Amino acid sequence: MKNLIAAASIALMGLTGAVSADGHENFPERPIMLMVSYGAGGATDFQARIVTMTAGNEDALGMPIAIINKPGAGGRVGWNWFATQAEADGYTLGAYNIPHFIAQSIEGGVEYGADSFEPIANWGADPAVFVVAADSEFNSMQDVVDYAMANPGGLTFSGAGLFVGHHIAALQLEKAAGVKLAYIPNNAGGAGAMKAVIAGEVLGGVNNLSDAFRARDAGNVKILGVFDNERNEFLPDVPTMKEQGFDIDNASVNFRGVMVPKGTPQPIIDKLAETVPTMFENGRVAGRMKAGGSPMHIMTRDEVIEMWKAREETLRELLAGL
Amino acid sequence: MEFLLYFGDVFTPFNFMLLLIGTVGGLILGATPGLSPTMAVALLIPFTFQLEPTQGLILLGAAYTSTVAGGAVSAILLKIPGAPANIATTLDGHTMAQKGKGAQALQLSFLASAVGGIFGVLLLIFLTPLLAKWALAFGPSHLFWLAILGVTIIGSLDSSSVVKGLLSGCIGLWLATIGFDDIMGAQRFIFHSSVSGGINIIPALIGLFAIPQVITMFAKGRTPFDAEVLSVERHPISKAFKEVFSRVRALTIGTITGSIIGLIPGVGGQIAGLVAYDQSRKMSPERDKFGTGHSEGVIAAESANNAMVGPSLVPLLTLSIPGSPTAAVLLGGLLIHGIFPGSDLFDNHPDVAWTFINSMLIGQILMCVFGLYIAGLAARVAQVPNAVMAAVVLGLAVFGSYSVQNSMGDVYIMAALGTGMYFLERFGLSAAPLVLGLILGPIAEANFVQGSMIANATSSIGSYFFTGTLNLLLIAIVVASVGYSIWMELRSRRYITKDDAVAKEEALS
Amino acid sequence: MTDLPRNQHILASGIVAAVGVWVAYVSYTAEPAAAFLFPRIISTVFVLLALWTFGKALLGRTTVGNGLTAEAMKNIAPGLIVALIFVFWAAEALGFYTASTITFFILLSLYDPAPHGKVKTWVKRLIITAGYLAVMYGLFGMLLNVFTPREIFF
Repeated sequence: MKNLIAAASIALMGLTGAVSADGHENFPERPIMLMVSYGAGGATDFQARIVTMTAGNEDALGMPIAIINKPGAGGRVGWNWFATQAEADGYTLGAYNIPHFIAQSIEGGVEYGADSFEPIANWGADPAVFVVAADSEFNSMQDVVDYAMANPGGLTFSGAGLFVGHHIAALQLEKAAGVKLAYIPNNAGGAGAMKAVIAGEVLGGVNNLSDAFRARDAGNVKILGVFDNERNEFLPDVPTMKEQGFDIDNASVNFRGVMVPKGTPQPIIDKLAETVPTMFENGRVAGRMKAGGSPMHIMTRDEVIEMWKAREETLRELLAGL
Repeated sequence: MEFLLYFGDVFTPFNFMLLLIGTVGGLILGATPGLSPTMAVALLIPFTFQLEPTQGLILLGAAYTSTVAGGAVSAILLKIPGAPANIATTLDGHTMAQKGKGAQALQLSFLASAVGGIFGVLLLIFLTPLLAKWALAFGPSHLFWLAILGVTIIGSLDSSSVVKGLLSGCIGLWLATIGFDDIMGAQRFIFHSSVSGGINIIPALIGLFAIPQVITMFAKGRTPFDAEVLSVERHPISKAFKEVFSRVRALTIGTITGSIIGLIPGVGGQIAGLVAYDQSRKMSPERDKFGTGHSEGVIAAESANNAMVGPSLVPLLTLSIPGSPTAAVLLGGLLIHGIFPGSDLFDNHPDVAWTFINSMLIGQILMCVFGLYIAGLAARVAQVPNAVMAAVVLGLAVFGSYSVQNSMGDVYIMAALGTGMYFLERFGLSAAPLVLGLILGPIAEANFVQGSMIANATSSIGSYFFTGTLNLLLIAIVVASVGYSIWMELRSRRYITKDDAVAKEEALS
Repeated sequence: MTDLPRNQHILASGIVAAVGVWVAYVSYTAEPAAAFLFPRIISTVFVLLALWTFGKALLGRTTVGNGLTAEAMKNIAPGLIVALIFVFWAAEALGFYTASTITFFILLSLYDPAPHGKVKTWVKRLIITAGYLAVMYGLFGMLLNVFTPREIFF
């Protein structure tokens, strides 16, 4: 009986192999999964669930996308899995976070780099911001830097971990202001880092714009500056770092999007690259994202390839001193 | 009293139907091994896309409360805790089921859950502003001491030898360090590719508890039917009511411990049950009976883990900080509808906020009613013949641990840990302290590292960890807990094995 | 009882102690040292406790744990082997539902005390297996939408 089933299974495997070998016109024929390398409820997970909710529509992929969370070590666990174990058949997508995975690959100790993945499309850009508790005496970045000048290495501020966007922003701030700061990475991600600020465990923090926007709404924090080239539409009153005299660009902005493992057949990549951005443009998606305070930034595959390349250069330069 | 105004919203036909679906669905999902409350709530989020915010939250709130209680079903009947919150329930609950008292154990657990749960939600309703301050009071140094406090109960938990209990705990602490370390991102002890992502707590939990069960059933061989089939005692619900309310000590300790610990962001739910179990044993005159199918154990554990549900949402609802993974998922459910938790929620959407909270209150009662209704029926699981049971549990363990993050590696970890655990159990080590180590290790480590980073930047490590009222209070509790354990160990070398303990209990009754 | 449990205790605690020594060795030698601070503390305690247990086993003074009887081992062996083949090979190679159904049927046949000779026994076993498959598929395949490897077989 076992032999029979084994034989049948081999026959069937051969059959399915043959089907997928001849062209990919019918892709996708079954539900697709999207790996998110952060826990359920985090900003990346939350946004991934929204932007993929219309995947089953006929004008999108026609098949639903299911989110699979593989959290751990600032995303390394998920991306390692994605680079080494995920099947490159187009049915396994991954969410990327720039600059996180590129910074981690530069730092080393992981099995992926920008070459391990093929970007499909970008859905969001979440700049880092500098927050302090609502009752803090700091009212501008200058106050923060002045304090740091007076107490070298004594200005504690939290962020979501090492070699993630927040850490990059922290490094940029140190470099631009020429001071030594005490960056405290939090193991519970952005939410944990925000809690440390509100509870007064640290003097300030770098956090996601979307989360900080909500925390400010709730009256818990002040937002002192945006680590981006321009002011953000969610926070038109908050000046950028550059406006406050610190030479900091958008290298720490957290770009989120969808990618597939290297080796995925080109026709499938093309098909995805064509449909996915239009799926992101869906009105319902945009409405939900706006309601949740998540800035959208849709980019096509070619634009993302450029962006990855540019980011890698900046980050190599920035991290070279470490 | 504002919440009373919105009670009507819970009882509109459609909303009430959602509440029923959430409760029953939650019980089923909770009873499925591998589906923690977090997973269950995440699975339901897509359904809320189509609903009004209030309706979506009713569904999620009901599901959250009843998955926590539903975890007790598999903990009692199969000795597979549905989530870390239910570990302590297995200790006495499963022993009760083995003796044919499964119905009683289930009834007690649902009643205790409801009492704890309602208390927790009432705290959420009346004391939210106060509790929010308390939740924020716990910084890295306090969380570190809290984790150490958890470690100190390892030695006395479900093991007849303190040394072996501590050894089990150490193995757990070590297992927790495998994989990438959370702060530095360094790789540690990755000896096989399936552990490169670290050891996920849910598959580990399933393996450590379910697989030894399966192998124990194998060990009985082809025993004839009759000897195996237990008579499941019928247990009138009125008796269960009486029993729960006569065990005031366990109920109070469970409820209060659960509420306090549930409030603390990041630690809460996972250890509330175990700490309450340990505390109520230490304070019980019948402490020798714990672990042998004693009802106080079930009551303390289950009232604690449901009491934590309400307070665990305090940081989320007031400060917009998710204090637990489940709260993080609920946050997503709110954001999708454009509602920001925090003052905005109570000021601008009081209907949503209060209907949500009320639905959890009603959900607790519904959960209890349904639970009591199915208890007698579900307890018949104990009558399933060994061979079928072993095979079913094995299947559930494999599917359950795979479904957590669709990873074969998790299944391998589950099986390897489980098989190893069976043999270790034969030599006096036990699973509960090991799992506790696995849970507490990362909390202790991360908070120690963060605390010392902050300390280095501001003051010194000594003053950061050893001064301040809360630190000193926690240290005092740690010292007391250790002292008590040592004293107990010296006073009475406890019985030799669990089997002997069970025999002793049978002789007593 | 004979010396069996004592030798078993020596073996078991010896293995645990060996793991402890390995963990301690790695903790004290691996880089970066900062990331191994916590493992060092744990492994030190781990090794001490494991050696203590091992020493006690050597002296034959272990009081806790029953060990395994030869009969229990004989009973466990076939089931454990089938279960491990299922987990480590069949689940992925044959697909979850196929493999777990076959495993279920084999385990049932191995441990079900009903006489093997009768047709009725086998019919009953097949029916139970079919019921199991239906419940598992209903729960994980349809209700929870779990993507299992090679789910194509069902």
